[in-house]
Amino acid sequence: MQLLWQIIVNGVLLGGLYALMALGLVLVWGVLNIVNLSHGALIMLGAYAGYYLFTGAGIDPFAALPLSMLMLFILGYGIQRGILNLVIRGPMFNTLLITFGLEVVITYLAQVIFSADFRTVNPPYAGANFELLGATVPLVRMLAFILAIGLTLVLWLFLEHTRIGRGIRATAQNLVAARLHGVNPRRVYALTFGIGSALAGAAGTLYGVVSQINPYIGGALTAKSFAIAIIGGLDNSLNVVVGGLFLGIVEALTALYIGPTYTDVVSFGILVLVLIVRPTGLLGRTA
Amino acid sequence: MKLGIQLALAAVGLAALATLPLWASPVIIQFGTSALILAVLAQGWNIIGGYTGYSSFGNSVFYGLGGYGVAIGMVQFQWPFAAGLALGIALALAFALLIGLPVLRLRGHYFAIATLGLAVVMTAIVSNIEIAGRNIGLIMPLVRGDTWFYEGSLALLAATTLTIAWISRSRFGFGLIAIRENEGAASVMGINTTLYKVLAFALASVFTAIAGGIHAYWITFLDPESAFDIGLNVKMIIMAVFGGPGTVFGPILGAFVLSAISEILASKLTSLASIFFGIVIVVAVVFMPRGFADLVRRFRQTRWRYFQENIRAHSV
Amino acid sequence: MAAILEARNVTKRYHGLVAINDVSFALERGEILGLIGPNGAGKTTLINLISGTQPPTVGSIVFEGAPIDGVPAYRRSRLGIGRTFQIMRPFPGLTVLDNVAVGALFGSAGGAGKLSEAQEQARRWLAFVGLEKRVDQRADALGGPDRKRLELAKALAQRPKLLLLDEVMAGLNHVEIEEVIEVIKKVRAEGISILVIEHVMKAIQSLSDRLIVIHHGEKLAEGKPGEVLTDTRVVEAYLGRRRV
Repeated sequence: MQLLWQIIVNGVLLGGLYALMALGLVLVWGVLNIVNLSHGALIMLGAYAGYYLFTGAGIDPFAALPLSMLMLFILGYGIQRGILNLVIRGPMFNTLLITFGLEVVITYLAQVIFSADFRTVNPPYAGANFELLGATVPLVRMLAFILAIGLTLVLWLFLEHTRIGRGIRATAQNLVAARLHGVNPRRVYALTFGIGSALAGAAGTLYGVVSQINPYIGGALTAKSFAIAIIGGLDNSLNVVVGGLFLGIVEALTALYIGPTYTDVVSFGILVLVLIVRPTGLLGRTA
Repeated sequence: MKLGIQLALAAVGLAALATLPLWASPVIIQFGTSALILAVLAQGWNIIGGYTGYSSFGNSVFYGLGGYGVAIGMVQFQWPFAAGLALGIALALAFALLIGLPVLRLRGHYFAIATLGLAVVMTAIVSNIEIAGRNIGLIMPLVRGDTWFYEGSLALLAATTLTIAWISRSRFGFGLIAIRENEGAASVMGINTTLYKVLAFALASVFTAIAGGIHAYWITFLDPESAFDIGLNVKMIIMAVFGGPGTVFGPILGAFVLSAISEILASKLTSLASIFFGIVIVVAVVFMPRGFADLVRRFRQTRWRYFQENIRAHSV
Repeated sequence: MAAILEARNVTKRYHGLVAINDVSFALERGEILGLIGPNGAGKTTLINLISGTQPPTVGSIVFEGAPIDGVPAYRRSRLGIGRTFQIMRPFPGLTVLDNVAVGALFGSAGGAGKLSEAQEQARRWLAFVGLEKRVDQRADALGGPDRKRLELAKALAQRPKLLLLDEVMAGLNHVEIEEVIEVIKKVRAEGISILVIEHVMKAIQSLSDRLIVIHHGEKLAEGKPGEVLTDTRVVEAYLGRRRV
C-alpha cells in the first residue's frame, strides 16, 4: 500500500511535467493545424538552454525558466515567420514533412554544437527530499511539478482573458473573420508558435533537472507528447493536464508491476487504442 | 508516355542495372543496394499512400518484422534465409490484416499518427522479447557477397514495380484510386472500401517485409532501433511524394535521386549528409510541394514563377 | 406491377432529433416518383437510408421484395441501387472518362471486368448525358451543370435498376433544366425506376408519375402531382401557416 502511494505520487509528479510537455504541441496543433514533429527537439533545446545557463552563468535552473522560455520563443517565432508560414495553407501532410525536416536539422546542429554526451543539471539541492504522507518526494520533482501546473494555468488565463490570447483563439476558429477584425494572421501564427516553443522550452529546462539529456531525446519526447495530447484530447489545456497525469500514473504503475522496459509499450499501446476506439481522447469532444 | 513504352524503357534500364556488379566498384554496388532497398520501401508506401491515399507513417513495422523474421529464423532456429524470410512475411501480413482493419478506419492525420504510434509500440515490444534478442539485437552469419544482395534487391524492386504497373491498369487499382479521390463516393459506387484498403496495406506489407529481410541479412545485425527505424518512414514518404505518388515509376525516381544527392554530399562534405536530408525536405516542401512530376509538367509553362506560385498558394 | 422499392415504417433518430418519422411508401417498377418538401424536411436523409449511407433506427427498406437492412452501401450498389449526391462527389484528380469508368467497373452485378471495357461503356453513358466533348478533361475542371451530368453518368454507369436523384437541377437555368428533364426521361426509357428529390416545382410536376411530400420528417401527402400540389396541407407547409 505504501509502495502504491509512492508510485502514484511519482506518477503524478511525472504527469505534471508531461502535461507541460504536451501543452505547446496542442496549442500549435489547435490554432495552426500544424502537427509539429520537431516539438521534441524544441524541448531538447530548452533543456540545453537550462543546462548552459546553469553551468555557464550559474543561474539556478528554475530561475532560468523565463530566460530559456524567451530564447525558445524567439526561435519559434522565427521558424514560423520564416518557414512554416510559407506552407501553412497547403495540405497538412506537408507540415508533417517539413517539421520532420526541421527536427533533423535541429537535432543535427545540437549534436554538433553540444556534442552527444549525456548531461544533467545538478543544482546544489538536487538530492533533497521531503516527506508527503509517507512518500518520498524529491524536491526538484516537486518544484518541476508546481511550475508545470503553474505555467499551464498561466497559458489558460492568457488565452481566455488577454486581448492577444483571444485574438489567437479567434484566428484559430475563423481566419477570415479574424482578418476582418484587423488581426494580422502572420503575426498571430508566429506568436502562437513562439508561445508553443516557449512552453516546450520550459518543459525542457525542467526536464533537464530531473533527467539526463542528449541531442537525441527529441524523437522520443515528440512521440510522448503526441501520446499525451491524443489520449487527453486536443480541445483545451485541462484535457492536456488530464492526459499528462493519466500517462504519468500509468507509466509509474507499469514500471512497478510489469517492468520498466514496458512503459513505452503501454503508453503507445494506449495511444493506438484511443485512436481506434475514441479518437477524440478521454475527455475530448470534437474530432 | 504510354505505360507500354515506359515498361519497355524500364526493362532496358533493368538489364543495364543488372550488369552493374560487373563493372562497378564495391562502394557503388553497396550504394546501389541501399538505393534499391529504399526504392522498394518507397514503392511499398506508394501502394497504400500514393494510390489509396492513406499516408502510413508506420511501414517501418513491416520492414522490421521482415528483418526479425529472417534474424530469428536464422539465428534461433538455424533455418535457411528463405524460411526466415517466409516467417518475416507471415508476421508482416498478420500485422497488416489484424491491425490494419481497425486502424484503416481512421482518416487523414489520425491514421498517420496511429501508424506512427504503432511503429513506436513495436519497437518497444520487440525490445522486450527474449527470442528477438531484446534491445541488444541479433547477429547473423555473413555468408553472401555484396553482388547477391544487389541482384536480390533489384529483383525485388522489379517485382514490386511490376505489381504496381498491374495495379495501375486493373479494377483493383481503380478501386484504390477511387478511394483516394473520394472514399464516400467510392463506397456507394460498389467498392468494398474496407476490403480494398486492407488488401492494399497487406500488399505493401509484403514487399516492405522482404526488403527488411534482405537488408537485415545484408547488414548481418539487427536491433529494434534500426529495424523499426522511424526516420525510414519519412524517408520513404519523401521519396515517393517527390518522385510522384500514385505513379508507377515516380517513387523509384525519387529514391534514386535523393539517395544519389545524399551520397554525393556525404562524400564531399562528410558530416553534412544527415543535415542535408532535413534541409532538402524543408526546401522541397516550401518550393515544390507537389513533387518532381508536377514541377516537370508545369515548369515549361511557368518557369521560375512556378516556385513563387506554390509559395503564394500555400502561405499566409 | 410489383414495387421495386418499399419503405416500411422507417424512422431515423440522431441524438434525440427525429429526422424521419414513420415514413412508408412504395415505388413501382418503371415509375418516376418525386420527393418534395421544404428545406430540412428530411429528404436527403431518406435517400441516405435507401442507399445505405446510414441505417434506419426503426423500420425496413425493401428492395425487389427483399429487405436490405444491414446490407452495406457498396453491396446495395451491386444489387442495383444507384444515387447522385446533392453535394457532388466527383473523383477530382481523374478524367471525366475515368470517373464514369469507375461506375462501370463496380456497378450492378460486378460490372465490367476490364478497364478498356469499362471505358467504352463510360463513353456511351457520357454521350447519353451529353458530356462526350469533355471526356478527357479533369473532373475538377468542370463547371456546375457539367458536374451534374457527370454525377448522373457515374450513377448510370453502374447500371442501376433504381436511381436516386438528389436535386440534380439545383442552380440550373431553364434551358439546362429542360435538358436534364429529357435525360431523365431517357433514363426511364431504359427501364430504370427513379426517385427524384427536387425543388424546382415545374420540373418535378412534369417528370413525376406520382409525388410524395415530406415535412418535418413525416409523409404529408402522396398521390398524383395535380392532387398533391393543390392539397391545402402541402400548400401550408410550403407557405407557412399565416392565413388570416
